[in-house]
Amino acid sequence: MLTTVRDLFRYNREFRIGALLTAFIVAFAALSFASPYPPQDTFVVPPDVPPSAAYWFGTTSRGQDVFWQLTFAIRNTMLFGLCVAILSRMISIAIGMWSGYKGGFVDRVLMSINDTFIVIPLFPLLVLFYFVMRDKMSWPLLALAMACLGWSYDARLIRSVAMSLKSREFTQQSVFSGMRTREIVLQEHLPYVLPIVFYTTMNNMNWSIGLEVTLSVLGFTNIDTPTIGVMIYWANQHTAMVAGIWWWIFFPVLFVVVLFIGLFLLAISMNEYIDPRSRLARMGGMRE
Amino acid sequence: MSSAAASAAADARLSPERVLTVRDLRAYYRTNFFGMSREVRAVDGVSLHVDRDEIYGLAGESSCGKTTLIKTIVRAIRPPLDVVGGSVAFHFAGRERDIYAMSREELQSIRWRHLSYILQGSMNVLNPVRRVRQSFVDFSHRHIGKPMPEFLRLIEDHLDRVRLPPTVLDAYPHELSGGMRQRVTIALASVCRPDFIVADEPTTALDVVVQRDVLAMLREVQREIRSSMILVTHDIGVHANVTDRLGIMYAGRLVEEGPTGDVIRNPRHPYTSHLVTSLPRIGDVTPKRGLEGAPPNLAAPPEGCRFHPRCPLAIGTCRAEAPPMVDVAPGHRVACWVTAAPTAATVQ
Repeated sequence: MLTTVRDLFRYNREFRIGALLTAFIVAFAALSFASPYPPQDTFVVPPDVPPSAAYWFGTTSRGQDVFWQLTFAIRNTMLFGLCVAILSRMISIAIGMWSGYKGGFVDRVLMSINDTFIVIPLFPLLVLFYFVMRDKMSWPLLALAMACLGWSYDARLIRSVAMSLKSREFTQQSVFSGMRTREIVLQEHLPYVLPIVFYTTMNNMNWSIGLEVTLSVLGFTNIDTPTIGVMIYWANQHTAMVAGIWWWIFFPVLFVVVLFIGLFLLAISMNEYIDPRSRLARMGGMRE
Repeated sequence: MSSAAASAAADARLSPERVLTVRDLRAYYRTNFFGMSREVRAVDGVSLHVDRDEIYGLAGESSCGKTTLIKTIVRAIRPPLDVVGGSVAFHFAGRERDIYAMSREELQSIRWRHLSYILQGSMNVLNPVRRVRQSFVDFSHRHIGKPMPEFLRLIEDHLDRVRLPPTVLDAYPHELSGGMRQRVTIALASVCRPDFIVADEPTTALDVVVQRDVLAMLREVQREIRSSMILVTHDIGVHANVTDRLGIMYAGRLVEEGPTGDVIRNPRHPYTSHLVTSLPRIGDVTPKRGLEGAPPNLAAPPEGCRFHPRCPLAIGTCRAEAPPMVDVAPGHRVACWVTAAPTAATVQ
């Protein structure tokens, strides 16, 4: 495992850059545990100070240090994306593979549920969800809601792969040798599907972070938990752009973009590791 | 009926130990879409038997039911294919059992240990994203019932038998050549030393040199573990080299069956004659003639003998009644009104 990571790091440029960017963000988020101020406290530092040696990323109009505030925000945002991605991956793998392998009636029922989720307009539904939950709204709850809404496209994708795998000779051989459905799906088909899952994981994280930022910016989430979106929300509330407090918006956006790029590069290099054929291409075996 | 009994008696004399008996097997593909039901009679009344230590060949052109027949024999069927009649009895460990009367557990217990199946397109039975070792473990470990280290040693010994280095175990299928993959597949099917191997076109995708090599190896393995085998291929040349007895299928029925040499040297059914004369021979300069037409649609097969629309010898009876299998020589049976029963032809 360690040698794999080392080799990837040495030979794969995407992995190297992606790992460095993500590691940087993770390290930055880890700094939140060393923060001198609790994230909810306001007016702990002089407000509206531009970036300087004392306050690297400046301070907000609410008297918070952008640097320390950002460590909390990026940590929460990253955890949020990860939670949504993992939960929704579990649903989409289970539904996609089961539906694709079983086919027939099971497939029709699951896919009609799936298609219902595809056509539901997400954004109004999440806004509605916020108005229903109001004060009970917290980010674990929002993560759960988004996981329940974000699995359907990828379930369809995984189903289509499972359907094609089902008709391959090695599946027939597995059936003939007496493997159970669960074993066939988990041992024979899952390794084939995993690169797609990894790829969609990063996609899904980016999607959920984006949607969370959108909701937060508009104030449709719990605005007491600092996330990237909530930071921008408060900046907007204090008309930071008009007032020239650009650092309050610039740094959150910069960090979330770095996170996006890091995750994306990791995803495509993971893909290359998991699929033995693209691993061959990287070694130069298939290059003309 | 008396002729069938006589042939059974003759068979019993020739071969004391029988491994597989198929009686009047009928397997149809049945579909029902929007109220339109369709029945494709891919296997329609086939009877055959295979003895211990024997390679039985099945030949015939594409879409004549070869693959359906052997799928039915090993009970690897799924809808819409359904067995509507007849029986398939295996004699394993001194016990005759109908494969369609077995429970799921019983079926599991005979598969691989007693009965293995090399699928059509066998080059692709290895999972492209799993190493060969994992495929061996996935498919056969459960059937061998030995602890893992011993099992892996056994596999390496067995790979040595098919002349493959143990390093292939760590390879992915795409890293192996077609011939190597084929050998791995054969090793996979024979690793538990089964009594019976069913091989569906095991060498189709290979060039003739590698094909010869793989077939020789298949034969060698079969000799060594003393199993019986059904070998399906449309290549009569392969049958001439490898099989002991040969059955010719046409449109879901067996039309001729006998010792391979007899069938090829002295074909009795007009269809077999056509198949055999299509074989190129060194020094033979006569132009080859194709058989007109195509095999019939099995959803609506012709009345009587299914070959009669393409048969140059067809007579009136052929159109009305299906010919029975009749013995024409010891162990050599043929279903034809004209060539198997010359008296019937003269009456017409």
